[in-house]
Amino acid sequence: MTGGAAAALTGLRVSPARAVLRLDVTQGNVQPVPIAVPDFLPATPGDAEPARLVTQIITANLARSGLFAPIDPAAYIERIVNFDAAPRFPDWRAINAQALVLGRITRQGDGRFKAEFRLWDVFAGQQLEGKQYSVPFENVRRIAHIVSDAIYVRLTGEKGYFDSRIVFVDETGPKERRVKRLALMDQDGANTRYLTRGDDLVLTPRFSPTTQEITYMSFGQGDPRVYLLNLDNPGQREVVGNFPGMTFAPRFSPDGASVIMSLQRGGNSNIFVMNLGSKAITRLTDSAAIDTAPSFSPDSMSICFESDRGGRPQIYVMPASGGTAQRISFGEGSYSTPVWSPRGDVIAFTKQGGGSFSIGVIKPDGSGERILTEGFHNEGPTFAPNGRVIMFFRDPGGASGPALYTIDLTGRNEQKVPTPSFASDPAWSPLLS
Amino acid sequence: MGRRMRAGLTISAVGHLALLVWGLVTFASKPFAAAESVAVDVISDAEFSQIMAGSKTAPRADAPKPIVDKVAEETKPKDPAPKVSEKPEIVATAENAPPPKPPEPKPPELKPAQAEAKPDKAEPPPVDAIAEALKREETKKKLEAKKLEDAKKKEEARKREEARKREQEKYDPAKIESRLALLDKRAPQRQAALGAILNDAPSLGAPGATAMTLSMNELDALRARLRDCWDVPVGVRDARDLVVTVRIQFKKDGSLTSDPTVVNRSSQPVFQVASESAVRAIRKCAPFSFLPPAKYEAWKDVEVNFDPREMFGG
Repeated sequence: MTGGAAAALTGLRVSPARAVLRLDVTQGNVQPVPIAVPDFLPATPGDAEPARLVTQIITANLARSGLFAPIDPAAYIERIVNFDAAPRFPDWRAINAQALVLGRITRQGDGRFKAEFRLWDVFAGQQLEGKQYSVPFENVRRIAHIVSDAIYVRLTGEKGYFDSRIVFVDETGPKERRVKRLALMDQDGANTRYLTRGDDLVLTPRFSPTTQEITYMSFGQGDPRVYLLNLDNPGQREVVGNFPGMTFAPRFSPDGASVIMSLQRGGNSNIFVMNLGSKAITRLTDSAAIDTAPSFSPDSMSICFESDRGGRPQIYVMPASGGTAQRISFGEGSYSTPVWSPRGDVIAFTKQGGGSFSIGVIKPDGSGERILTEGFHNEGPTFAPNGRVIMFFRDPGGASGPALYTIDLTGRNEQKVPTPSFASDPAWSPLLS
Repeated sequence: MGRRMRAGLTISAVGHLALLVWGLVTFASKPFAAAESVAVDVISDAEFSQIMAGSKTAPRADAPKPIVDKVAEETKPKDPAPKVSEKPEIVATAENAPPPKPPEPKPPELKPAQAEAKPDKAEPPPVDAIAEALKREETKKKLEAKKLEDAKKKEEARKREEARKREQEKYDPAKIESRLALLDKRAPQRQAALGAILNDAPSLGAPGATAMTLSMNELDALRARLRDCWDVPVGVRDARDLVVTVRIQFKKDGSLTSDPTVVNRSSQPVFQVASESAVRAIRKCAPFSFLPPAKYEAWKDVEVNFDPREMFGG
């Protein structure tokens, strides 16, 4: 008995001593992480080109994110020749690469490319991630986006957003007679294709979070209406609901089963939600003011929208079932186009005042308002699937036209998105995979 | 009954004895193993800020020396002054004081820091003499600190001392401090001889008995190095309570004994990324060759909290 107790006590005493010294490090770098992405190895020499293309897309994605600083390949010391062998870490440490991406592209007999990659922690000399994907030959760009996301997720702890698309309004022709077409492109501006011919004016396209559908507003033949369009079959489109009057500013609910929008009748507009399956319509606001631009919170519990019930347009939040709305924006000027982040933490908006239009974010409780970018005309924010990046359009005024930009939620790393011509009203899709 | 009683008594006695012996052994052995005390310095705000200011410029410099210097000086300057001036002389100065006083009434109105400078301008001849005298004093002290036998110099010194005394009497202690600061600059030579007096490191004899402390400078240097090497993953911004504690064990040359180990755990998915970033920072920084080998006991085993909360505010 006593012996046992003594042993137990001794055991306690001998338990590993605490460290001698304790230290708090409360500051670190938020600099882009140096990363090396040598060209993916082609399994057969004939595939060197797609391998290089994949490498270039990954490098560009990581660089655009602002969180990574790809190292110039000219600085590389080790020449990678074997995907299955561990790299010579000292060579990569020497050029201060923290992470190293090695990959291999293999053309398979079934008409698909297989991409394998390994993400190495250079200073630990360890593999952080190793995965393989396969896509049809024609989708080789997509495989690069998927690999980019895997790297991004593994190194930042965030969700990715590279494997996603943008729907936007492509604008061509002189300012007085602009032709506006719905267009779809990859998140990095590649692979643009057009969804409408430009006969009708189109506005505010929005992605379905669950299906390959978009909803948008078009003037069509009569009153402006909200339409649904299937990306797999863009020739067919469908009017959402049969409302007397003009419907606009549509958005999907997070489950993709409903569309929320504004209906204008006379001098005021109110917010309605329609279930796409049952076609049941629910009225959510009933005011003499203009209530518009509704957007669901990601948990579907709340809705933010724009209303001028207080005089100038401001942002309000109310339960998704309707009810009392709380005003959350109180700054000078007017607020419009609120959109709830897919992470739920903030609501992005366009703010007009002082002769400029800015893009900002505010917490759903009305605190923490921040302006991310400001200028002559910035409008229409839309969130990347991970809620970290916002895309919007900017019109410099004069004879030129609008263009698309992205900006980090921190207000840093503003980047222009390449589009074939002028572009406005972007909407970011959810992740494709 | 009797037997039982007896048996019970024996068992009880044996039991108690065993307990006693065990207690003796256990508690007697405790002091040897358990006493790893950590020394704590209590410093004032002013001292703290002084130390902090120094750390920025001289992270690599040997931190212990400056501390020794200052400590040694502090004790010395106080001694020499009274010795040189000596009480009788002070009395004399007090008597002699009246004449010089008239020129100096102005300084008292001034702030202590400016006071020194102003008298010089106000009365060039006497002040210059004082300044020169000070310089001479300095050189004399440097070269002949131990040869205070020269009578003339003593006299001069006394006169200056008188002047000083007056000033000291009239001015704030801040002025004395500034004087001491001047004295500090000469001090290093003396310290060479006296360096051991207050230096922690050399005086520590018993291994492990008294923990050695790293100076704030050294801690700051270590912290600064880790800060420079730590790339905070963005995902951590959303997990504000994500603190990663990493234990590092060093060799005497500042390299790592083994891989740093993450001490705490979290169910948050981003924790893995965060902990890797912390470990990466340490690996990237290694070796920490600036850590003073003399105080190896103090830094051979370190636990670092990588805490991003402050960075991203509320």
